[in-house]
Amino acid sequence: MKVRSSIALVVLTLGSVGCQSNDSSSPTANSSQSTSTFLVESEPTGAMPVGEARAKSEDGQEVTLVGLIGGSSKPFVEGLAAFTIVDPKVPYCADDEGCPTPWDYCCQTEAVKENIATIKLVDEAGKPVASSARDLLKVKELSTVVVKGKAKRDEQGNLTVAANQVFVRPGK
Amino acid sequence: MLLPWEYGVRNLARRPVRTALTMMALATVVMLVFVVVGFIRGLEQSLTASGDENVVLVYSVNSEENIENSSIPARTPALLTASVDGTVKRFGLNHASPELYAGTRVKSENNEGGLGLVRGVTLTAPLVRRSVQLIDGAWPSDGEVMVGRLAAAKLGSSEDELAIGKSIEFEGRSWNISGRFAAGGAAYESEIWCRLSDFQTASKRQDISLVALLLSPGSSPAEVELFCKERTDLELRAIAETEYYAALQLHYKPVRLLAWLVVVLVSSAGIFAGLNMMYGAVAGRVREIATLQAIGYRRRAILISLIQEGVLLSAAGSLASGVIALTLLNGMAVRFTMGAFTLRIDGVAILIGCSVGLLLGVVGALPPALKALRAEVAASLKAV
Repeated sequence: MKVRSSIALVVLTLGSVGCQSNDSSSPTANSSQSTSTFLVESEPTGAMPVGEARAKSEDGQEVTLVGLIGGSSKPFVEGLAAFTIVDPKVPYCADDEGCPTPWDYCCQTEAVKENIATIKLVDEAGKPVASSARDLLKVKELSTVVVKGKAKRDEQGNLTVAANQVFVRPGK
Repeated sequence: MLLPWEYGVRNLARRPVRTALTMMALATVVMLVFVVVGFIRGLEQSLTASGDENVVLVYSVNSEENIENSSIPARTPALLTASVDGTVKRFGLNHASPELYAGTRVKSENNEGGLGLVRGVTLTAPLVRRSVQLIDGAWPSDGEVMVGRLAAAKLGSSEDELAIGKSIEFEGRSWNISGRFAAGGAAYESEIWCRLSDFQTASKRQDISLVALLLSPGSSPAEVELFCKERTDLELRAIAETEYYAALQLHYKPVRLLAWLVVVLVSSAGIFAGLNMMYGAVAGRVREIATLQAIGYRRRAILISLIQEGVLLSAAGSLASGVIALTLLNGMAVRFTMGAFTLRIDGVAILIGCSVGLLLGVVGALPPALKALRAEVAASLKAV
């Protein structure tokens, strides 16, 4: 009787350990899956700078943009996979100027107005992914990204891209 | 063998004047600690109570953290509620509060006036600012204002001058006080509220400072923030109200650190004062201590008895200070740059104040007692 009880206990313990290991692996799998959904390994061709895209793109058009993450002191939307990018031609404070937040383009506020776009990573339903883009794409302020997606324009000239592909240029 | 408990107690009564003076000195030190800790706790409580986790503030991106400098178009609330899902809507009414917020000179009938904080609001304000309660009088109508519980403290005037029925002046016109409100210790309690349209007319402005949105459960401030990012032409920013006040907490961190430094300095000064007094007290009892040793009491027993006296004195001082602090200091209004808040003698303040008091008793008694016990018994018995 005692032997049977011991065997049953061992089987139950092993079973529960097995279940635990399955559970703990699932979030990692989901995370890597969602990351790979948006991140691409090769740079999409035909990328145009943000300023040019604001001038040429139309509502609903498929566009590929290149820009630097920035445009304000907090370019990332916390809690959603969304951020703003600025045309690479707009200069930001050099490292030796000692500016703590060069990505806010504080000396180029007028230039930023015409050279900024909002990028949001959307799911199949077209809703923004509820996760920080910083973690999802492993990017930070002033990272150069090439994004591909559908443009949304409004009468005020704002440009938002519902992105489905993001390439992060190596470097800064 | 330890000395009897009564021995220490009776010793205190043998020198009533010295005992009373020592206790008063200890009580003063503990009182200073209560004041400073009460100040810190009051400031923290005011900023913590001011944030509602379901409220998002939308204001100008150019004003950084300072809402008083913000200016956004008056059409912003309608634009936000039409564009962003998640704002609470009941009986066809969106819970969005457009507000004009400014610091301006406010004069009362018998006062030169001080810098007051005025908020122009609409009837949706209480739907969003859920902690606000009208405690007396009525909601302001044309040419009327209601004043917060701490508005008088902020203006440096008396409560009577801001009583219902009295009038005050700001932005070049006179306003009748129609009511008083409280807000659970939040920052609004030091403000003066009037109708938005009245305040816009008086200050010759057509814009507003901010829009406060009450989000429904399950909605995220990030959705409002995303809208602001997408509409770059509006130059708006959105921040959860709790985050806004957390940022203010960081802003006032140096003040709080300074206040804690004052606690440490006051406590140190108290310990030195205590040491001085206890040295004097023990120095006059060298023969008594030597006699106790001569009749067989061990040094440890005498040391414990001396510490017992110190702790008894400091505990009595702490108790007296605690009673005074709770009855007189707790809730006292303090004027501050951001408005006004009340001193808060809560559990933490009592714990810190009494701990400092008891520490004074122990640490103050130890060195002079040790010094007296180290002396030769024979020499000490002959001491004058």
